[in-house]
Amino acid sequence: MPKLIAFRCLSALATLAVVSVIVFWMVEWLPGDAAERLLGRDVTAAGLAALRDKLQLGIAPWSRYGHWLAGVLSGDLGTSISSGRPVADVLAGPAGNTLLLTGIVLVLYFPLSLGLGVWAAVRQGRPVDLAVQLFTLIGMCLPEYVVAIALTSVFAVKLGWLPPLALIDQAHTFGDLIRTLLLPTVTLTAAMTAYAVRMIRECLIDVLRSGYVDMAHLKGTPPRRVLLRHALPNALGPALNVTALNVAWLTGGIVVVETIFNFPGLGRLLVDAISNKDVPVILSVSLLLTGVYIFCNLVADIGSLVFNPKLRSAR
Amino acid sequence: MTAPLIAVDDLTIDYGRQPAACHRAVDGVSFDIRPGEVLGLAGESGSGKSTVAYALLARRRPGSRIVSGRILFEGEDILPLPERQVRLLRGGRIGFVPQNPATSLTPSMPVGRQIVETIEIHGVARGAAARRLAEDLLARVHLPEPQALARRYPHQLSGGQQQRVLIAMALACRPRLLVLDEPTTGLDVTTQAQILTLLADIRAEFATAMLYVSHDLAALGRLADRIAVMKDGRLVEIGPTASIVGSPRQPYTRVLLAALPDLDRPPAGVTDDAAKRNGGEGKPLLEIDGLVAAYRGEGLSAIWRRPPPTVRDVSFSIRRGETFALIGESGSGKSTIARAILGLTPHRRGGVRFDGRDLPADARRWQGEWRRRIQIVFQNPDASLNPRHSVAAILGRPLERFFGLRGRDRRLRAAELLESVRLDPAFLDRRPDQLSGGQRQRVAIARALAAEPEVLICDEVLSALDVSVQAEILALLRTLQAERHLTYLFISHDLAVVRWFAQSVGVLHRGEFCALGPVEEVFSPPHHPYTARLLAAVPRISAPDDNAGRPAKAWFGGPARASSTV
Repeated sequence: MPKLIAFRCLSALATLAVVSVIVFWMVEWLPGDAAERLLGRDVTAAGLAALRDKLQLGIAPWSRYGHWLAGVLSGDLGTSISSGRPVADVLAGPAGNTLLLTGIVLVLYFPLSLGLGVWAAVRQGRPVDLAVQLFTLIGMCLPEYVVAIALTSVFAVKLGWLPPLALIDQAHTFGDLIRTLLLPTVTLTAAMTAYAVRMIRECLIDVLRSGYVDMAHLKGTPPRRVLLRHALPNALGPALNVTALNVAWLTGGIVVVETIFNFPGLGRLLVDAISNKDVPVILSVSLLLTGVYIFCNLVADIGSLVFNPKLRSAR
Repeated sequence: MTAPLIAVDDLTIDYGRQPAACHRAVDGVSFDIRPGEVLGLAGESGSGKSTVAYALLARRRPGSRIVSGRILFEGEDILPLPERQVRLLRGGRIGFVPQNPATSLTPSMPVGRQIVETIEIHGVARGAAARRLAEDLLARVHLPEPQALARRYPHQLSGGQQQRVLIAMALACRPRLLVLDEPTTGLDVTTQAQILTLLADIRAEFATAMLYVSHDLAALGRLADRIAVMKDGRLVEIGPTASIVGSPRQPYTRVLLAALPDLDRPPAGVTDDAAKRNGGEGKPLLEIDGLVAAYRGEGLSAIWRRPPPTVRDVSFSIRRGETFALIGESGSGKSTIARAILGLTPHRRGGVRFDGRDLPADARRWQGEWRRRIQIVFQNPDASLNPRHSVAAILGRPLERFFGLRGRDRRLRAAELLESVRLDPAFLDRRPDQLSGGQRQRVAIARALAAEPEVLICDEVLSALDVSVQAEILALLRTLQAERHLTYLFISHDLAVVRWFAQSVGVLHRGEFCALGPVEEVFSPPHHPYTARLLAAVPRISAPDDNAGRPAKAWFGGPARASSTV
């Protein structure tokens, strides 16, 4: 197990390096540069040249990348081109906001998907199961921006119960905070939970048909105990992998959802940074999201080792 | 006469909900078991014997419905009992040993924990006392180092060890009745013999009554006091073991007995004279020389760590028209040899010569004709036939691939193939799940024949089938060999079958031959010790073995015997 973790950490570093190169060059290939974006259309050639000089945009791309990399390795994320502030400062606020949003989503995600999945599996074929299956199917089919827009038009525009924009900076009371976060949270949770519920339901139904569950009944184990001790632990492995995929989706999903709700998080920061060609900010945000993604995958893999003794001894 | 421990009275069980479309699995079955008695319940799959076994624990199998009947355990009808009271019976006063040990232990729980759970549920003991009791039970079923073993997970045990754990679990609360549902079917011959011995010991020490369900009359003969025979849900015959085995009255019982492969007696229609059988001719068609095969390790470690070979330096040759049998316990490397010959284990050393030419170790580098001329039939037709394809599609693929047949020609040829394996050509439009196990295996054989092969590798083709179906498939293989001059590499763990089917035999033990030669030579004394052990393990039909009735041996607390390391 320690060997596995060490190996995975090394490959994570390699992945981050590759991602940074790809992202850097993709931004580099976009037409225009940060100076043009900052100064807009009505600008003189002299003004552009001066700003380019100030932002050191004239240097060859490779050496700019090397400069940035050296900075990162020594703990300096660089300076945002558009705002002139250190990237670490620019990142702090939005990162906190996104962490709050995804944290709430994940806190809801685990009990919801587990509860609904188990409930549907033990009531297989009954109305509860059919309802759960129908709603999860809808949740899986609709893209998150459709869900977001639908929710906004009903609850914000039509009914006026909730604000259409999640401007968390303007929330002063706890009630405000909840109202602001409700729509983005529901949007993200709905999409993520749908997959997991279906996966847990499928796996659990399979496990409930297995010989060892039968055997547990035949040795007089109470049904509740059969479900919790014999069936569930063996059904969770595949669900954990879905969770890893879900979190991967979440890192992309927040970009879309934050943009729709104008939520001041990392996703919106990334979109703004791209339109400004603010390379240091783009790199930092994408590396942060990649890192979170890799970390979640590692946690999911270790989790399935815990639930599956077979994998554990194979290592 | 003592009162029966359990009495089944006119039990009738249906599968399916609608009265019109239901299938009667158990039809008016009555029998009883006296305290300490072992009743064998024999029959083929689908005869309803497992459904009866489950009913003794008041458990319905999914989709089944008890139409009528009573099951009186110690005088009380258990079928109408509420769930709570039924749970006290299960695992408490009635123990259950399932058919398939590999899938019957919860994979995420150490085995000791699973026994402790049973003990605690029934309130026999708790905590440390329960753990001690569990270890004691593991020692009683002859498992080595019970303390260490209790902490292991099911997948870390062999099939025989898993079955011993399940038997220990069934015994945990000192039940008065043990229900055993085909407890040795998935196991090796030697393991099977050891489990049977263990059950006889348990019976002698605890005086536990048993219902022993099996399709194997030979195994039942060793243990049971009385045998009941079921067919199509009805009890056709019941009586003392000696009279059922010795002088069966019902024709069906005689069919079951005749189908049993017997080491000492050739099956009907086959003469003992081996010379009369086609012994092969001329120079060898398939030569295996110094074969070493290993499986590739998994993951990154495979780069620097080579697994120990599963087959070590094996050499033999098969002449055209001959049947060569490979026998050995599971894990001895039988199937690995088959895969190596077929070019499916690229990590192979040593030569495989076919018709005078060297076969490359990797089948991807084979010339087209080789692939046609060597075919294989696998153990389990459920797994080797694509469940979504019709029989016509299954047979059509090799016909198209090797002979370019299409449309009407292909269908006609596929119909011919079905006839050659004695199946109705009307089956062409069925899918595998609409066929019985024996019919499926016939389709698998027909698929191999479609290529018009010279060598047919049969990898345990009988072991997933019922005894009487096994006899039919064997007869078919014999006829096909005569008709098509086939050369067989016949892989089996059943010595009694091999004795009368093959001309030459190689006995594999841990990847090496410990005996090799003509069947008569290998099977007649003096034996190699391993061969002798395999031969001794083959259940023979005889009146109750002296095993069953022998007095309790002082094995509890005594030194672990060699047989305990299954």
